[in-house]
Amino acid sequence: MERSATSPSALTGAAKGNGDAVFAAIVRFSAALILLGLGGMVAVMAWGARGAFARFGPGFVFDKAWNPVTQHFGAAAPMFGTVITALLAILLAVPLAFGIAVWLTEIASARIAGVIGTLIQLLAAVPSIIFGMWGFAVLVPFMAHYVEPLASHTLGRVPGIGTLFRGAPYGTGFLTGGMILAVMITPFICAVMRDVFLSIPAVLKESAYGLGMTRWEVVRRIILPWSRSSVVGGVMLGLGRALGETMAITFVIGNANHIGWSLFSPGNTIASLIALEFPESAVGSLKFSSLMAAGFLLMLISLGTLVCSRLLLRTKAAGR
Amino acid sequence: MTVAQNDAAPAAISVRNLDFYYGAHHALKNISIDFPQGQVTGMIGPSGCGKSTLLRVLNRMYDLYPGQRATGEVIFDGCNIIGPKVNLNVLRSRVGMVFQKPTPFPMSIYDNIAFGVRLHERLDRAAMEARVEDVLRRVALWPEVRDRLRDSAAALSGGQQQRLCIARTIATRPEVVLLDEPTSALDPVSTARIEELLDELKADFTIAIVTHNLQQAARCADQVAFFYMGEVVEVDSADRMFTTPREKRTQDYITGRFG
Repeated sequence: MERSATSPSALTGAAKGNGDAVFAAIVRFSAALILLGLGGMVAVMAWGARGAFARFGPGFVFDKAWNPVTQHFGAAAPMFGTVITALLAILLAVPLAFGIAVWLTEIASARIAGVIGTLIQLLAAVPSIIFGMWGFAVLVPFMAHYVEPLASHTLGRVPGIGTLFRGAPYGTGFLTGGMILAVMITPFICAVMRDVFLSIPAVLKESAYGLGMTRWEVVRRIILPWSRSSVVGGVMLGLGRALGETMAITFVIGNANHIGWSLFSPGNTIASLIALEFPESAVGSLKFSSLMAAGFLLMLISLGTLVCSRLLLRTKAAGR
Repeated sequence: MTVAQNDAAPAAISVRNLDFYYGAHHALKNISIDFPQGQVTGMIGPSGCGKSTLLRVLNRMYDLYPGQRATGEVIFDGCNIIGPKVNLNVLRSRVGMVFQKPTPFPMSIYDNIAFGVRLHERLDRAAMEARVEDVLRRVALWPEVRDRLRDSAAALSGGQQQRLCIARTIATRPEVVLLDEPTSALDPVSTARIEELLDELKADFTIAIVTHNLQQAARCADQVAFFYMGEVVEVDSADRMFTTPREKRTQDYITGRFG
């Protein structure tokens, strides 16, 4: 920089010194670091998992045993738990987030919408360990004493879906896990939905109201079709988060290596399994490798979800 | 303010002593005007003079926004429509609106029209198809879209979309059609077609059109109202308004001295 101040001004040459080149190099390096980091992580997981995959083959994915004593490991149960709790979370969170977003954008006055909108954003900032403690101290007893006994006496008797609601009311389990996750991902899904709903031209909504549509008809027939792909993208974003969430769900899932259709039964997820067992497995052992393999599978599931959401959001951007 | 009724046609809508507020902003000041049945009323005036605001009162569109309110009387079919007990969905089906920019819904051409009709009437398939064809013919769009009724309305050109929106509005058989600068986003050819259309539509509908284009008002309107700073300065037949205006402000505006 000093040099440029003293050099005669000229149209050619590096009049401002090479600061720009240095800056470009720095930002390029930062960007490359991301690539390196992500690639390195995938590589390390795959490398660490090689022992488990060599021993159990593709059967690792479908094997529901997890037995350190017999050194027999499979990822089916935690994968099942991961997917079930995430789907439950989506099932609970999407209608809730949708309702909040519609209320915020269509019905609430600007000032109240601003306050509630901020509160929802704050909910997203609550650390997951807090949700875990709250879940364990409040939600689990509530589920065990009220919700689960009630549900198994009513819904549990319905043929077909009754299976889902039978079983001992431990309080911990898939349903409680899904509920905790739902609370955690609702703010994310809601934020995406609100932004999309706000981006709909006011005049389009007005012409719908102008034909005599009710609010519900406008939401159902105009807002939803217009924003469908973005909404799906936002939902996938929430799903990705639910799949990888660790701390809160470890507190309430029950941590049993178990596959079952009762939503009340304790289970585990890949993330909770790793959180609990990783510290007690020796580096290089088969268990260590199996945990790495489970982590690798979780990464694949999460990345797949994220890629799907990106694709959906992009088709929307290109379509308009 | 000077109001002169141009002839004996009964008023479809009668506005009396209407005041309108956007929050603290007093946008319409003690407005009184009649919209004669079966005629085109053109509303002209500089930007921000309140003419679009008046349209939004006539179908209670302002109701969607907290903080906007109206006082006074707007009599339509014997009822003060700015009163509290009005069923807005019914009102809006009877007082239709076409906007500045075409607003096709994200659905097919056919459904754009059929959807609005289904809100208020139960028609069987044949009757619905007849209704869709009828309104598309009336807006002179039928020959252009008859083979692609199931295509997305977004694929139409701007002028076609606007005619579709007019078709959609008249398909529910309203008594009054409000048009808010319906041709401002269109090319001259599409504009001409829509102006022709207005002339045919007034046989069945009472029309109120806001326009920035004075020639358009002169060509299409039977009665013209000049708005300025939230007031109606003058209402008269189009002929008299553009040849012998009574107010100086009207004269200044139509000769291009301000606005």
